[in-house]
Amino acid sequence: MKHRVVITGLGLCTPLGRSVKEFWQNLLAGHSGIGRISLFDTSSLPVRIGGEVKNFKPDELLGEFPEAEREKDRKIWLGLDAAAGAIADSQLPRGVLQAAPLFVGVSLETFVLEDVTPIAHAPDAARDFARQVLNQEPRHQLQTPLDRLTQILGDHYGLNHGRYTNCSACAAGAQVIGEAFRRLRDGTAAVALAGASDSTLNPLALGGFSLLQILSTENDRPERACRPFDATRQGTVLAEGAAFVVMETLAHAHQRGARIYAEVLGYGSSLDAYRVTDPEPSGRGAALSMTKAIRDAGLQPENIAGINAHGTGTPKNDVAETLAIKQTLGAHARAIPVTANKSMTGHMIATSGALEAIASAMTLFTQKVSPTINRACPDPQCDLDYVVEGCRNFDGRTVLSNSFGFGGQNASLVFGRLDS
Amino acid sequence: MRTSVVITGIGMVTPLGKNPLEILRGIEAGRSAAARPANFDATPFACPVCAEIRDFQPQRYLSGSKMIRLMNRDAQLAVAAAHLALTDAGVKPGGVYPPEDIALFGATGLAGLPLAEVVPLIKASADEDGSFDPGRFGQMGLRAISPILSFKILGNMPLCFVSICENIQGPNGIYTPWEGQGAQAVESAIRALECGDAGCALAGGCDVKTHELAFISLEQHGLFASWRQNQTGMVPGEGAVFLVLEAADRAVARGARAYAQVSGFSLRTHQPGASWADTFGEVFKGLNLPPEPLAAMVAAANGDVPAGEDEQQTLSSRKITAPTIIHPKKQAGDLFAAAAGLQIGLAALLVARGGGRVLANCFGHGSEQAAFVLEKP
Repeated sequence: MKHRVVITGLGLCTPLGRSVKEFWQNLLAGHSGIGRISLFDTSSLPVRIGGEVKNFKPDELLGEFPEAEREKDRKIWLGLDAAAGAIADSQLPRGVLQAAPLFVGVSLETFVLEDVTPIAHAPDAARDFARQVLNQEPRHQLQTPLDRLTQILGDHYGLNHGRYTNCSACAAGAQVIGEAFRRLRDGTAAVALAGASDSTLNPLALGGFSLLQILSTENDRPERACRPFDATRQGTVLAEGAAFVVMETLAHAHQRGARIYAEVLGYGSSLDAYRVTDPEPSGRGAALSMTKAIRDAGLQPENIAGINAHGTGTPKNDVAETLAIKQTLGAHARAIPVTANKSMTGHMIATSGALEAIASAMTLFTQKVSPTINRACPDPQCDLDYVVEGCRNFDGRTVLSNSFGFGGQNASLVFGRLDS
Repeated sequence: MRTSVVITGIGMVTPLGKNPLEILRGIEAGRSAAARPANFDATPFACPVCAEIRDFQPQRYLSGSKMIRLMNRDAQLAVAAAHLALTDAGVKPGGVYPPEDIALFGATGLAGLPLAEVVPLIKASADEDGSFDPGRFGQMGLRAISPILSFKILGNMPLCFVSICENIQGPNGIYTPWEGQGAQAVESAIRALECGDAGCALAGGCDVKTHELAFISLEQHGLFASWRQNQTGMVPGEGAVFLVLEAADRAVARGARAYAQVSGFSLRTHQPGASWADTFGEVFKGLNLPPEPLAAMVAAANGDVPAGEDEQQTLSSRKITAPTIIHPKKQAGDLFAAAAGLQIGLAALLVARGGGRVLANCFGHGSEQAAFVLEKP
């Protein structure tokens, strides 16, 4: 028996706000969350802009999460904030939550260079690095395992029915929601917590990504730097943030009278099997992911009423995604709105899929679709309806959300509106 | 289980070799790969040894030198093991199975960077006092690192290279960073086959814990405590193991040889405050093992004294025993994210050789603990 699955709690921590209400208002208004990076001195780097979560002070969460006191990795704190928000929003009793499996998406380990430069600076650094790191006072852990947020969340909320840490790069946030959806649908669980957290706004990650030449270097106009589907787009803009959702079976949600944002209808994933540096140019892999999600939802392509695109603003992604949408939906592709949240939020890597799932759920819940900003000069190869004029009313019943990962991992989710 | 899932291919690249049967025989004969590290001085660490693969030549499995240059060692091992598994199964993506009908689920470990690549970056980013200087980082530090550094620290890259090299395009997921996540990868592959999301799946993991940065992290996370207290403990290893799993009816239809059928699995989360023996007991409870005795067992004990005692205590209290018990981690080293693949792969070989029911314990570090039961198809 297949169970219907719904989203009943939303939580986020983003450059556009730390509450769903604030985020959604900013997204609909077309506000950009991109600015000059203030977390560290970027003056010597080619990229000096990003999407920071403003006024975010991990110390303020210590009262709720004292066990995280020693954590330096910013994505842990962003994730705790967002997950706590989703749980509170769902109003799930703690005892019920404890039966939930936990799915967390992340991408890169964070290396805190400040902790080790004093050691590396020593004349015999290369020869005696290990001994000095181990004897260092105060002690700094060189590597924080990527499951650290998962463990803190799991221990804190007593989530002891499976903890999954997914590191599928930019597809991770969508994959964790897809995996949670499958477990709920097949009856393995009645409730699940799923989401992702990431922050690449640190020297090594920002520097490393800038070497790959996929980032916009338009440091003088940060709010315009990310221009998905625009002919003059130069690259994406890194951002930080976290997004979590509480999911449950429809029967469970009805039983407790929960508020339902949207139904999760289908999930599909695929691999480009092309290059680690570039998306497959014809959009084959992305189209496969979308097709599988639509089929999984028991729908036909013409049933899709809107798309939340991956839309990174890199020259190659946006063309490949446009081609993939047209392959998947045929002529219907031109009849529906396609929006790119990253034009405002920047690219949160692992988090993007989870945040865009929330935006998709809010589109269905509020019947409004957010715009794609900064598309002043249309790329003739990107010829769909990208909602460039501003937010729009939306009376559709389904939204397809795409996440395509660095390395060729693709994930698509289909959400549906649930009438009360 | 709704659809019977069978194991039809095994690919192993381990410190005890690359031929699965020879690895099994080596373990049964008491061979050990533990030795002093070849590439760094282990004297700062409580653990003096590791299990290295001494003769690995990635170019034997990869034609393009450019691709090899983009990979870290974890990825090179993964690509080799995946190729061996598919070859062993006789599965060629695009043959019986279209590329999009083959799933790929795997686990990877902590980011593995040779210190030789990191120290120049850190050194170039320090000011005269040794403090981090963002200006120097941008001007000199970044020049000290390879532009392809990101490829080497992104946890999903090894599996992406596998997909590219083997043209696998189906459902996928990558988990990190401990032994239990390798078990989750196999679980996810089984679920993908059960629900018809794929007809065939490649599942496993890769990990390299034989370099200095890994030793620093293992020491800092307390994983060498047993060495300090007992002068023996877990031996960090390196390797990759992948299994080809298929829906049984699909395997039969193509005339494939099946090593074993997955007749049960159980995954549990270790709860704060619980004893490890309790958690292992919960894992076994979830298996619903029938009263008939096991034919063999692949134990999880990795040389760490308390962990071995916990496993033994749980087996004794639940009266789980077998005439044949092997301890691969004690001899091949603990392969962490690749360990579950090794445990299950060896169990499949034991089933194929002797029949009966074989238990593979996939216990390890982190909260996620698992066990699998295999039988003749």
